[in-house]
Amino acid sequence: MSAADVAAPVRPGRAGRPAPVPPARPAGRWKAAAGWAAVLAVTALTLAPGIGVEVDLGAIARNWRNGADKIVALLQPDWSFFPRTVGPLLETLQMAVVATAVAGIVSLPLSLWAARTTNPHRLLRGAVRGVLNVVRAVPDLLYAAVLVAMVGVGALPGILALVLFDVGIVVKLVSEQLEAADTGALEAARAAGGTQLQVNRSVAVPDMLPGFWNQLLYVLELNVRASSVLGLVGAGGMGLLIDAVRSFYRYDQLSLIILEILVVVLVLEAVSSAARRRLL
Amino acid sequence: MTAPSAPAPAPAPAPAPGRGAARRARGALTGAVAPPPRPSRLAPRALSAAVVVVVVAAFWSVDISWGRLADLPSEVVRYLWLMFSAPDWSALPEALRQTWRSVAMAWLGTVLGILVATPLSLLAARGHGPAPVRGALRLVFAVIRAVPEIIIAIVILSVTGLTPLTGALALAVNGVGTLGKWGYEAIEGIGRGPVEAVRAVGGSGAHVLRWGVWPEVLPAFGSFWLYRFEINVRSSAVLGLIGVGGIGDMLTSYTQYRQWSTVGVLLIVVVVVTVAIDAASGALRRRIMEGARARAVQP
Repeated sequence: MSAADVAAPVRPGRAGRPAPVPPARPAGRWKAAAGWAAVLAVTALTLAPGIGVEVDLGAIARNWRNGADKIVALLQPDWSFFPRTVGPLLETLQMAVVATAVAGIVSLPLSLWAARTTNPHRLLRGAVRGVLNVVRAVPDLLYAAVLVAMVGVGALPGILALVLFDVGIVVKLVSEQLEAADTGALEAARAAGGTQLQVNRSVAVPDMLPGFWNQLLYVLELNVRASSVLGLVGAGGMGLLIDAVRSFYRYDQLSLIILEILVVVLVLEAVSSAARRRLL
Repeated sequence: MTAPSAPAPAPAPAPAPGRGAARRARGALTGAVAPPPRPSRLAPRALSAAVVVVVVAAFWSVDISWGRLADLPSEVVRYLWLMFSAPDWSALPEALRQTWRSVAMAWLGTVLGILVATPLSLLAARGHGPAPVRGALRLVFAVIRAVPEIIIAIVILSVTGLTPLTGALALAVNGVGTLGKWGYEAIEGIGRGPVEAVRAVGGSGAHVLRWGVWPEVLPAFGSFWLYRFEINVRSSAVLGLIGVGGIGDMLTSYTQYRQWSTVGVLLIVVVVVTVAIDAASGALRRRIMEGARARAVQP
């Protein structure tokens, strides 16, 4: 760090060539220390009593038995509960599939509008991006909570929440992919006299489709995971059941539900990664 | 489904040398270059047919009165008007306090997740941990990632009760699943050079980790940590729904009481805080990764 380090004298080697000099120590090592200190300070602040996350170790010690009982219940799934979970599980899958399909239809044109290469109008592009940035900032369950109050309980608010959430993700990822793609073909189509619409339809869309399908697969996985809990706020699917067994403290039934979600998600992950390998 | 699906199987008597083979043979005789045989379209067609069937079945069977969709736009406009025409700003101080609580939950969850996930990801990386441990850890990461954090929170709250600590712990557990996976992938992705260099000068396993692996992966890890924090900020708002406190808790109760003017304010707070944290953390992440790249190209 000192000036002497940086301007180390070049010692002549045996053959008259300069011997290798160790590189200078990078400057600004205090920055790392300051970073760690800031992390520590914020962590201390989040733990501060009264304003942050209160850690009540005494309560944990008191509740430990209770928790241990629940863990034991979790380890003994109530298999007789299975028939009642089939319906909600199917509804969860239906919601995920429908939401993914609708999100795909909606986000195809929106992705083209949100990318610089396929939409030269800066204002329109900015508007689409701005709205979607706001849409993406709200978590899916909060959408579901508000939509349930708006349109009533059932699968509909759940699907709507998932669609909103998905469109935000798909449009962001696909439009970034469009902007990163090689522009040669687009320019060729434009040079051949195509209008923006023709250029997009004949060049950009075929080019983006593999990536687009890939993102839809990703979103389908997210949807299955999310729709299994949307029911906690009344939006249909597995979550309604989770809410019920939770309020009756039936952790043995909860454990069966967790196992089912686990199996569905892992199977879906395997299928979609196989599909992805074919796709890309 | 009446699509001309499979190319007809080769003529019955001699199934093995199909038409393509015959053409190739002729091509070889005349010296012309035969086009390659057309790839089978059977698999893609069957796949798209299956996808269409699944989607149609889902639409057809899902329990929705589609008639309700017709008045949805007017309903949405009505509720948006209720929420944002005259926001009740008197709830703002309490909303900010609860938001801080959510963010604190997210931060603590991130820090705890990092502390647990970092050593585990080293153990789970090929070439650093023992094979059985590696397999077990990867399975654990996959299982954790498959379970939504709200369910993890429901399990944890039996011990810690409905406190923000439950939320932080749930986020930490969930973070171990994602950070662990990203971590071992990053460790396996580094070049062999630094590791071999440390080995060549006689470094032990610990030395390899400290001087070969750690400097290589630190920028990527920093970026993962920040990204995980962004995820946790969103999730912490969601965890409030089961009553562990924070902005999500407040939002559900006001939604249940149908106090729309307050709900509007809460949504604005959530959006502004999330976008601000995303922007700050995204800028920091770009800085970290570009700094790493700039250092990498230096001779």
